[in-house]
Amino acid sequence: MSTDWTSYPTGGSSVTSDVIDSSSPGGYRRPAAPGEPLLIVEDLRVQFTRGGRRINAVNGLSYEMVPGKMMAIIGESGSGKSVSTRALMGLLPPTATISGSIRFDGRELLGLDEAELRKVRGGDIAMVFQDPARSLNPTMKIGSQITEAVRAQSDLDKKGAHARAVELLRLVRLPAPERRFHEYPHQLSGGMRQRVMIAIALAGEPRLLIADEATTALDVTTQAQIMELLVELRERLGMAVIMISHDLGLAASYAEDVVVMYAGRAVEHAPVGTLFSNVRMPYTRALLGAIPALEREPHSLLPVTPGQPPDLSALPKGCPFRPRCSNATDKCVEHPPFLEHEPQHWWACWHPAGTELDTAPEVTAAMAPATAAEAAHHLEQEHPDHPADQRPAVNQPAVNQGVTR
Amino acid sequence: MAVADTPISVTDHPGLEHGHEEEPRRGKWRQSLGTWIPAGMIALILLACVFGPLVLPEPTGGSVLESNLPALSPGHLLGTDPNGNDILSRLLNGGRASLFIAAAVNVLGLVVGGTLGALSGYVGGAVDTTIMRLLDVLIAFPSLVLTLAVAQALGPSITNTILALAFFSIPAFARVARSAVLRLREMPFMAAAQISGTSTGRILFRHLAPNIAPQLITFGMLGMGIVIIIEGALSFLGLGVPDPAPSWGNMVATGQLSLSATPMLVVWPSLALLITVLSFNLLGENLRSRWSGR
Amino acid sequence: MTAVEERSQGSPAASRAPLLRARNLVQEFPVRGAGGVKGGVVHAVSNVSFDVYPGETLGVVGETGSGKSTLARSVIQAPPPKSGEVEFQGSDLVKLRRGALKQARRQMQMVYQDPFGSLNPRWRIAELVEEPLIGYGEGNATTRKKRVDELLDLVGLDPSQYGKRRPHEISGGQCQRVAIARAIALDPALVICDEAVSSLDVLIQAQVLNLFEKLRRELNLSYLFIAHDLALVKQVSDRVAVMYLGQLAEIGPAEGMYRQPLHPYTAALLDSIPRIDPATGRANKPVALPGEPPSPVDPPSGCRFRTRCPRAQQTCADVEPQLVELLPGHQVACHFPLTIPENELPPRPAPASQAAPDPAIAGG
Repeated sequence: MSTDWTSYPTGGSSVTSDVIDSSSPGGYRRPAAPGEPLLIVEDLRVQFTRGGRRINAVNGLSYEMVPGKMMAIIGESGSGKSVSTRALMGLLPPTATISGSIRFDGRELLGLDEAELRKVRGGDIAMVFQDPARSLNPTMKIGSQITEAVRAQSDLDKKGAHARAVELLRLVRLPAPERRFHEYPHQLSGGMRQRVMIAIALAGEPRLLIADEATTALDVTTQAQIMELLVELRERLGMAVIMISHDLGLAASYAEDVVVMYAGRAVEHAPVGTLFSNVRMPYTRALLGAIPALEREPHSLLPVTPGQPPDLSALPKGCPFRPRCSNATDKCVEHPPFLEHEPQHWWACWHPAGTELDTAPEVTAAMAPATAAEAAHHLEQEHPDHPADQRPAVNQPAVNQGVTR
Repeated sequence: MAVADTPISVTDHPGLEHGHEEEPRRGKWRQSLGTWIPAGMIALILLACVFGPLVLPEPTGGSVLESNLPALSPGHLLGTDPNGNDILSRLLNGGRASLFIAAAVNVLGLVVGGTLGALSGYVGGAVDTTIMRLLDVLIAFPSLVLTLAVAQALGPSITNTILALAFFSIPAFARVARSAVLRLREMPFMAAAQISGTSTGRILFRHLAPNIAPQLITFGMLGMGIVIIIEGALSFLGLGVPDPAPSWGNMVATGQLSLSATPMLVVWPSLALLITVLSFNLLGENLRSRWSGR
Repeated sequence: MTAVEERSQGSPAASRAPLLRARNLVQEFPVRGAGGVKGGVVHAVSNVSFDVYPGETLGVVGETGSGKSTLARSVIQAPPPKSGEVEFQGSDLVKLRRGALKQARRQMQMVYQDPFGSLNPRWRIAELVEEPLIGYGEGNATTRKKRVDELLDLVGLDPSQYGKRRPHEISGGQCQRVAIARAIALDPALVICDEAVSSLDVLIQAQVLNLFEKLRRELNLSYLFIAHDLALVKQVSDRVAVMYLGQLAEIGPAEGMYRQPLHPYTAALLDSIPRIDPATGRANKPVALPGEPPSPVDPPSGCRFRTRCPRAQQTCADVEPQLVELLPGHQVACHFPLTIPENELPPRPAPASQAAPDPAIAGG
């Protein structure tokens, strides 16, 4: 069911990495050496005061990103995922207290003044938000909104900016870009608006693109389109991408690296394959178990995690997931450190799932993957009409026996 | 707040599981002060204007022998005016008149206008169109000019002033009520109430009214300030409260005739106007931010 | 829709009469011109028919503009559909007004998407749950209070702790439980869940889904479960209906739809969903359905999916496909359902404007 993409003229040759670098406005720019981290976040902490209470939105977040990598930050509401990236962009209100370090290309971003930040923001680092209806000015034509971004990031004149804007619209595969240039946001569908947002983000030729729940408000078919676009852009432009989402499935399908956040901290960080086949954090395990899966039996009960997310203004002592965790013991009153326990696999837990320290092995067993052979066998049986690689090779037989609470 | 997390996901409000609010910290204190100081001021003014005149001499019919006594004269805290009337008494009686008019106009506006607007917004359709067009006609008139005309035609009196000003207060409240109701009508809990079999009357009184009341009340607070000033203008022009009965407006009017000689005749009522209107405005603003913050 | 009237094997209550019979529902909304677009009509629901049997859950899935929420509201008559029948427990709700409608609708309740918005912020939890009891004149204050306590317990909220609180003092998941308690207060036969868990976090969503399931078993409830998440719908439903731009594309048993989708749109939906393979830790690469959803004000003629369908032919533009039962209990509205292999499709004319996916469709 693939469409013929080449019917969309893209003006391909003008958009190569070489041309990108040459039009940047005398900013701080050097090509990062391969393998060297592009972004280093170290012990980031953000606090707000709201309604007289002190909210600890981010409590010591640390991670690294190499150029060109696609990383997903996964968390539920209140996990601090959006707040941490806004800290990166300097988009937090002045009343927020930020500490720690955010180094982009070796340059410390925290503490930069607004003028410097503005150069970075929209230039080297760009962001795409969740709701294009609210991020785009409804009274401005979309063309103007893109040229505005282009001119803020370069010295192009009106005509040059117009041409570049159309080029960007082509790059994001917006059909009929010349015509769309003169249209208003409400004349476009949600998916198209999100493409426009991406075009605006690309105006400054960013080396890091942050997609903050960029597809959450979109239909699943549109989401697939936009994600395909992001993957393609990443390959063409060599950008690093951070995807922020609550959707583990999305991370699994597109990301290379996953950071799971809870109560303002990273609680697990691993390459995507490792994370999903060797889940260690009970929280991540709970998330995986709670996602409705096409493979589940109808009317089956989901494994349930009791309780509510923690109060960020009154975090309990020790591990924040303790009150809801099936693995919790008294030891958990002592906060577990976030360490690289296995190669490239970081977590913060005293009783990680799937290891000998697992205190609730029956829960882990219920979540355990079937062996690859078993899965393939099941696949043959259940989907005789479709070749194996077109249907997801998933069977979670043990889920039906999942722990219910 | 710029940092709302995923709007689509409802934050399971951490920390609100236990229900009791924490002791108010600095932000809350400032908000409380913002409510209680102007409210206190208004209460003080009201008390003074209601009870003061009971113990003070009559504001009219003073003897010329006592004219222009200075402040702190025996029996005349603020002195007397050229007609021998006690200034404090005129001030407080004038306040009675001004406040009474302002209150009457706003209450009338809230009750009549609020109900009309709410019904109009809730029922919609032809009823809505008719009511709003009628009110539009009223709003279309230049307010002050019309008030003057009405006052001219009917003659200056407190009742006529109230009627003339209500002419504009009613459509204003109606618009506020209507837009509040239009917004509220879309809320799922209204549909849920209907599905629960709740009668229309109950819906209007128990669902609609409590949710539009805050907006109407704050509008009323701000309206108090506005009406007091308009009444002041009317009385200044001789069309509001008729001489010799005092009102802040006509006190300024008569006082300004001898501004250089006896400035205090203008200063006192002006000051009273200033403090009162300011207090209402501050209270109104504070209530608005308090109630819309929820 | 004679096909629908035929037996539906695969549903757990095949032999019983339907609890809810919806026939030829049509709902339209006028559109005020905005930004140069002339006022038109949004064809939100176009000629949709389906049944819900006692004790079963019918899931309705669709994307934005599919009309699924509008369909739910038409069923509960808020507002009533422009035309069609909604027969519930023997009475056609569309024909009834006010008092009669209220009585006929007593056993049908609804849970909404926005947990905070569906509860009056100025009321207390106990009052909110009590409201339907008062609305339908059940018992007296004492019996009602008892019932409210019972209901709160049933949804896992301690009445002594939560009864006095207001919605903003509790969490979204808890608000949704209150909404559910209110919905089951009158012991309804059918509960319509309009995206009832879509705005909840994953872990809380699981809790609420389990609550739905528990109540289903204990109170023998039927559900009309509306959502945009196919995996979610499939998990809670016995049968699933897929809607596209106001039309019913496919309806059938949940498991069957997943294993063998008949409508190209259903297959596309399934292909777009990112999924994790726990065996290998890898996930499938979702395949994007190209093109934009057409405008509901000016939907394509015939089959509305044809502008994005790789199998579309001229017939699809000329004739609106009707629901036809191809497998037991499994109906599809398509001229060239997936049971017909690719190589048996009639040859398509070369770059035809109707047949090929049309990328230049005006959005909005």
